[in-house]
Amino acid sequence: MISKLVRRNIAATKGRLLLMLLSIVLGVSFVSGSFLLADSLRAIFSDITETAFAGIDAQVRGTESDLSTGEEAVRIPEVIFDTIAGLPEVEYAEAGLSAFFQVYTVGDDGEVNRPKGPPVFANSWGGPSVASSFALRDGQAPVGNQIAIDTTQAEAEGLVVGDQIQVSGPGIEKLLDVEVAGIVSFGASDALGGAYFNLFDLPTMQTLMGASGTIDSIIVNGRDDVSNAELVRSMRAALGDDGSLEVVSGTTLMDEQSGEFNEFINIFGNVLLGFALVVLFVSVFIIYNTFAILISQRIRQFGLLRSLGATGGQLTRMVLIEALIIGIVASLVGLFGGIGIASLLKFLFSQGGGEFPDGPLLFKARTILIVFFLGIGVTVGSALLPSLVAQRIPALAALRDGAGAVSETSRRRRVLFGGIVFTLGGALTLFGLFGSLGTAARLTSLGLGAALLFVGIAMLSVLFASGATRILGAPVEITRGLTGRLARDNASRNPQRTAATASALMIGLALITGVLVLTQSLRASFDKILDETVAADLFIYDDNQGFPFAGSAVDQVAAAPGIAQVAALTSIKVVINGEVDDATGFDVASTDQVLDAKLIEGTYDTGGDGVLIYSEKAEALNLAIGDSINVTFEDDFTDDFTIVGLFDDNTLFESGWIFDRATTRKHTNLDSVEFIGATFASGADPSQAQMAAELAVSNFPQLTVQDNTEFKETQEGQLNSLLIVVFALLGLCIVVAFIGIVNTMALSILERTREIGLLRAIGTSRRQLRSMVRWEAIIVGVFGALLGVVLGIIIGYAAVSAIPASFISVVSIPWTYAIIFTIVGGVLGMVAAVLPARRAARMNVLDAISSI
Amino acid sequence: MSQDIVSPTPSANPIVASAQNVMKIYGSGETEVRALDGLNAEFRRGQFSAVMGPSGSGKSTLMHVMAGLDQATSGDVVVGGVDLATLSEKKLTLLRRDRIGFVFQAYNLVPTLSARENMVLPLELAGRKADKDWFEQVVSAVGLADRLDHRPNELSGGQQQRVAVARALVGQPDIIFADEPTGNLDSRTGHEILDFLRTAVRELNQTIVMVTHDPLGASYTDRAIFLEDGKVTSEMADPNADDIYSYMRSLGA
Repeated sequence: MISKLVRRNIAATKGRLLLMLLSIVLGVSFVSGSFLLADSLRAIFSDITETAFAGIDAQVRGTESDLSTGEEAVRIPEVIFDTIAGLPEVEYAEAGLSAFFQVYTVGDDGEVNRPKGPPVFANSWGGPSVASSFALRDGQAPVGNQIAIDTTQAEAEGLVVGDQIQVSGPGIEKLLDVEVAGIVSFGASDALGGAYFNLFDLPTMQTLMGASGTIDSIIVNGRDDVSNAELVRSMRAALGDDGSLEVVSGTTLMDEQSGEFNEFINIFGNVLLGFALVVLFVSVFIIYNTFAILISQRIRQFGLLRSLGATGGQLTRMVLIEALIIGIVASLVGLFGGIGIASLLKFLFSQGGGEFPDGPLLFKARTILIVFFLGIGVTVGSALLPSLVAQRIPALAALRDGAGAVSETSRRRRVLFGGIVFTLGGALTLFGLFGSLGTAARLTSLGLGAALLFVGIAMLSVLFASGATRILGAPVEITRGLTGRLARDNASRNPQRTAATASALMIGLALITGVLVLTQSLRASFDKILDETVAADLFIYDDNQGFPFAGSAVDQVAAAPGIAQVAALTSIKVVINGEVDDATGFDVASTDQVLDAKLIEGTYDTGGDGVLIYSEKAEALNLAIGDSINVTFEDDFTDDFTIVGLFDDNTLFESGWIFDRATTRKHTNLDSVEFIGATFASGADPSQAQMAAELAVSNFPQLTVQDNTEFKETQEGQLNSLLIVVFALLGLCIVVAFIGIVNTMALSILERTREIGLLRAIGTSRRQLRSMVRWEAIIVGVFGALLGVVLGIIIGYAAVSAIPASFISVVSIPWTYAIIFTIVGGVLGMVAAVLPARRAARMNVLDAISSI
Repeated sequence: MSQDIVSPTPSANPIVASAQNVMKIYGSGETEVRALDGLNAEFRRGQFSAVMGPSGSGKSTLMHVMAGLDQATSGDVVVGGVDLATLSEKKLTLLRRDRIGFVFQAYNLVPTLSARENMVLPLELAGRKADKDWFEQVVSAVGLADRLDHRPNELSGGQQQRVAVARALVGQPDIIFADEPTGNLDSRTGHEILDFLRTAVRELNQTIVMVTHDPLGASYTDRAIFLEDGKVTSEMADPNADDIYSYMRSLGA
């Protein structure tokens, strides 16, 4: 009977439950979509890897050391190839050389062809073979000044077999003219996440890379009668004890590759899931509110059931079963709604330049379990407090109006509980921000802390919801007269409800404001550094990826007319006194004029075996000027270096160590830099000097040459696109919060049917009634937005404080946005009230008055 | 309180519910209201009693206290041999469920349940099954056999109230409290209900206490007790409307 009653109650109030259901469905769909997308990506990529590496039984490659940067494969001498190819166990062997973000095709506009997010690979390719990862789709394998490109690039850049194009490479002085000889696919797949592949024969690849006589891998296909283990063993034997070489089996290779893909997909999936959980969290408030209101509307019915002998437990169970049913329905809808969300995300990413390989969405048992667990858990959990209220409704509520009102003690208890939750949340957040924790623990602590903080504030806001809405409503009362007064009273008379409604909006806006504080502070700090420590007139770097490029570019810029000083930065790894550490190679001779590290003691003059150290690092390591350290470089060169200077600004020199680039250049396997700064010669025309610099690096079309202003704009643009993504994802929270306001307003109006009827009966016009409902929603919306903005600023401020000053040194509060968001809150309220207001205005006066 | 209970049922019939020196005080200090002020009353099995009195005299409070819906401030309320003051909220609920029936002025049916479902609701809440014979007897007595699958909003006011009465009867409670059961009905339908209540007492051997301010309604009962300022001031056996009118006029005078 209880379950029958529950079913009938749901059926009778389904309109009232619909909006709440929608809010849960949105969150659950997002969760489901995150899993669907990540699972299908994993499956697709593992499929691609398996096909692509199917023919490789073993591979020879250079041993990566602790000092390898990992971005470029370790080079090995080409002569090894003959040793391997001559082995009796080997059926087929191919020497290879690859590049990551170094070799590009160049479009007619002189810009490199590359997708917006995904990487660009270049490989040597000997044409179709048993071991080849590529399959020819059109044309033939490239020979000499020919290139084969992948289908994604061919389609995106409009290239076909026979086209004449130019390619760039770190090893060539000017762009190379090549002919498109073939179109290939990687494995059986047309798109590898939107990545581009540029394939050449080995000699051309070596020329492009400036790497004659070296390769980075030999792929081997063994004879059919030889096991892979035997093959690997004989290859190892043939190579002898050379520690710089290693032989791995095809399976290992495949596992490594899948591992790399999965690592990326996991991050991607977890970020999406994080946002999904935030959305779900917002819907908690809406579910809570809906049930609280439904119960207050059914107070007579519950009183009746109590007087007929229902126990409090039975009523609580009734509410929870109702929540359970709704949770199940929402999870089911959300599970499939995930398909929509996944498709939407796919579409959005394809708009952003990434591309998802085609493949079916995978419903794993784990996804279904988690979706149902979260959907049902969130719904039932949110209904728990209201269901306990139902338990306390006395039988007399059936007979007497107001008998079921929440008592003062229970309100006080709730506030006390809210205070505890708030304190706990605050403590966890602070612990997460400042405690010495691992990343996972830190994120958990921060996430849980923030969630508790939000819940705590939502509970505590009951204390001031009445007062605040009275204050916010004061202008409304003054300008709108009696209608305004009623709106103001309505907004403040049920603080519990106002607080919960406003809280949903608060969370979304608090997060957005927090992110804004962070990015705006980041931007302000960046500007400050630029103004204070960067004297360069020109900035030359890869503006798409910030990826390293050949060091020869530095010399080319230095030789350009109108350029006075040039300084470049490179990140390397070194072993210092036995510990692996990051270090920076820098043209110390031109410091001060180009980039200033703020020397506080000593000199920039390293004199070959000197090194500079960041002051705080020196303190931490207990080092001082004159101390000697032992340094080992990537090429195993070891020497003692003397500390010659202490610097105070490590923004650009994050590693804390500055070596002369002349030294690091000698001892790294690849001469590359990440960033060039240059100053104009005195008297030189800036625009001419800039053009000269552009011309000087024209063989590196991926580089952009910017003056101070352009540089700033680019950096801000990047922050802005990051913001847009975050806003889009958090925007869903605002949508859910909006649904919450509509929901609360609609339910409140149903609850006040009698009162509204009375107002109409004594002569309130429909228009006045609409205005009353609208203004009530506006007051609640502004209240929620204000809470969110204030909280967001506090969160942002705390986060900025937790970030080292070297990274963010200026706290910048986005006041304009704060005001805009508050107004947006009001507008959301106004829009949310449209339908409920219309409904209130249309109510039949007589029915309304006679309703119970 | 008057001791000369005269009733068509033997006065030897056991007492089903009684109130001894019951006080019910709302508020305190200046705003103190004594809704019941040392009230004594008892109700015997098979008796149809009317509780009358001007508004504010404590009629409804008496009913709420007797039915375990509200706690008396002091004094003993005994129903079916159990002192309600000794019961926990949970026990009180169970007592209400098993031993007490209600008929409200506003019918108070659950709108989403059919007439039949409403009737058996208290039993189902108790996890009991309705006695089939008894259920049919009750249904035929209230004359709703053909309306059992209708929702309350498809029934007339009189029919709804009959469902409510049937709901009270189906559980065979020790005592049924009816709070102005005819208050929302026109006089013809009201008499039908009263007739039916009397039938339930006579033929089904039920015990009913009815709060009313309608002398005509009270004339259907076996006895009427009159309340004023939270006390029983008078009692009338086999009341007829005229007697009650004249008694009430005498009060007003």
